[in-house]
Amino acid sequence: MTFLELTEGPFWYVALVVFTVGVAWNIIAILAMRVRDDSALPRKSPVGGGIRAIFLHMVPHGGFFSRTAYHVIVGYLFHFGLFALLLFGSFHVAFIEKWTGLSWTPMPRWGMVIAAEIAFGGLILMWIRRWTDPITRQISDRDDHIGTGLTMLAMLTGCFAMAAASDGLRAVHMLSVELLMLYFPFSRLMHAFTFIFSRYFMGAAYGKRGYVP
Amino acid sequence: MILRSILLVVALAFGATALSGLTLAAADDPVAGQVPGQSLGSSSDADLWRAVRAGQPQTINIPGREAAVLIQSEGENWRNIRNGPISMIGGWLLTGVIVLICLYFAIRGRIRIEGGRSGILIPRFTQMQRVGHWFVAALFILLGLTGLLLLYGRYGLPYLIGKDGFAVLASAALQAHNLFGPLFLASLVVLFFTFLKGNIFSKEDIWWMAKLGGFFGGHASSKFYNFGEKNWFWMSMSLGFLLSFSGILLDFPGLLEDRYIQQLAHISHAIAAIIFISVGLGHIYLGVFGVEGAVEGMTTGSVDANWAKEHHDLWYEEVMAEKAAKSGGK
Repeated sequence: MTFLELTEGPFWYVALVVFTVGVAWNIIAILAMRVRDDSALPRKSPVGGGIRAIFLHMVPHGGFFSRTAYHVIVGYLFHFGLFALLLFGSFHVAFIEKWTGLSWTPMPRWGMVIAAEIAFGGLILMWIRRWTDPITRQISDRDDHIGTGLTMLAMLTGCFAMAAASDGLRAVHMLSVELLMLYFPFSRLMHAFTFIFSRYFMGAAYGKRGYVP
Repeated sequence: MILRSILLVVALAFGATALSGLTLAAADDPVAGQVPGQSLGSSSDADLWRAVRAGQPQTINIPGREAAVLIQSEGENWRNIRNGPISMIGGWLLTGVIVLICLYFAIRGRIRIEGGRSGILIPRFTQMQRVGHWFVAALFILLGLTGLLLLYGRYGLPYLIGKDGFAVLASAALQAHNLFGPLFLASLVVLFFTFLKGNIFSKEDIWWMAKLGGFFGGHASSKFYNFGEKNWFWMSMSLGFLLSFSGILLDFPGLLEDRYIQQLAHISHAIAAIIFISVGLGHIYLGVFGVEGAVEGMTTGSVDANWAKEHHDLWYEEVMAEKAAKSGGK
């Protein structure tokens, strides 16, 4: 069995199972948490407040734009770049088709390059902020840096493999992605799924009081 | 025995015939560009091949840029310059800089804050400046390592990891180098505008230079940036932009009609990169290891008051004067 077969075979299955079960376990655990009954009469709909909060916090608002602009803009750059690559990169589309039979039109190569530039730029800028901003540095811990580092590694090895020059580079990229998938459910990377629940929860709590900040 | 003798005679006869044929062929040299014998057509013009070798375009009836040039002779010159003087002189320059830094450290040691740390912090760089600086620094390291691997990897790595292994590594390095290049250009623009203020040369720089920056003893006064830092700023900007623009030309070869310009871009890219990395090593040494307390300005944004007094005394006085004016105003 070659290194590539190993990373696209047994390693991939293990990573996929850990990722899927881990993410599902976390989400079920959050949904199963009991929330203390609040017998106060709602001034407004908590459901409306929850949904409003999900969308409201997607854009900068309120009086703190100058302080949040950096991580909002950089965060969007990174996430848009990453998801464009993940979902529309030609190699990824081919990989998804291989495993699911589903396929769609991939991006052209120049689109992949631009998406990669944006994603890398965003990630590096976010990581730099973790080190240089006094407050963000204080609230960042090992988990944040490991998560960012593994994401960077997966993107970097993907960049190395862009020329499709060898099976070895593809295998190294697969391995780095699998490491990321193994770490994902046990880290704050789970925010990719849980941000909706946390925003809804806070929005509903405030919405019940009649105001969503 | 008789059979062997007969075979030997036959073989010698065939050999002699072949040799005489060769002699005849050698005797019929081309005359005035014409090959005698008309074995390959009516004529075989040696001048044509000389023109081809010289890289002159010929007449063709197929479309395609550069298709009329069979051999681009400047390519050979480019290859010889890249693998010859650039690689060799560049290698010596980089090695020399590393040796000089080590020697300086061995002789001078780490430049300590003489008065010790006061515990009073003075803000030096804004968050925007720090982010811009580290963004460029991260890309500088990524591009520097991949670039050096592409230029010098062939001289050692194939012996360690084999030719195939090196080919894979070089391909990976090239992809990363090409991808991070345009980001470097964007980050340089940000860095230029965030660091321009204070980097204009002034008369204090003459005195700083006269005292060799105090690196060999004594005190050299300076404002927010000293003469060395200002030089580094302008050098990194000019070399950085030269690197970026020549890199863009190499990243997108379709932008140019002429391959010769690409070869010039490649050579200027390599020369600028080697100088940039060499001077950058000195900057990294002084910023991170060589001068106690310097790196804090770029990590936390603040420096110790005693560090400011010792290295940028004129700026320190300005800050203190502003502070006094503010407190006096209250």
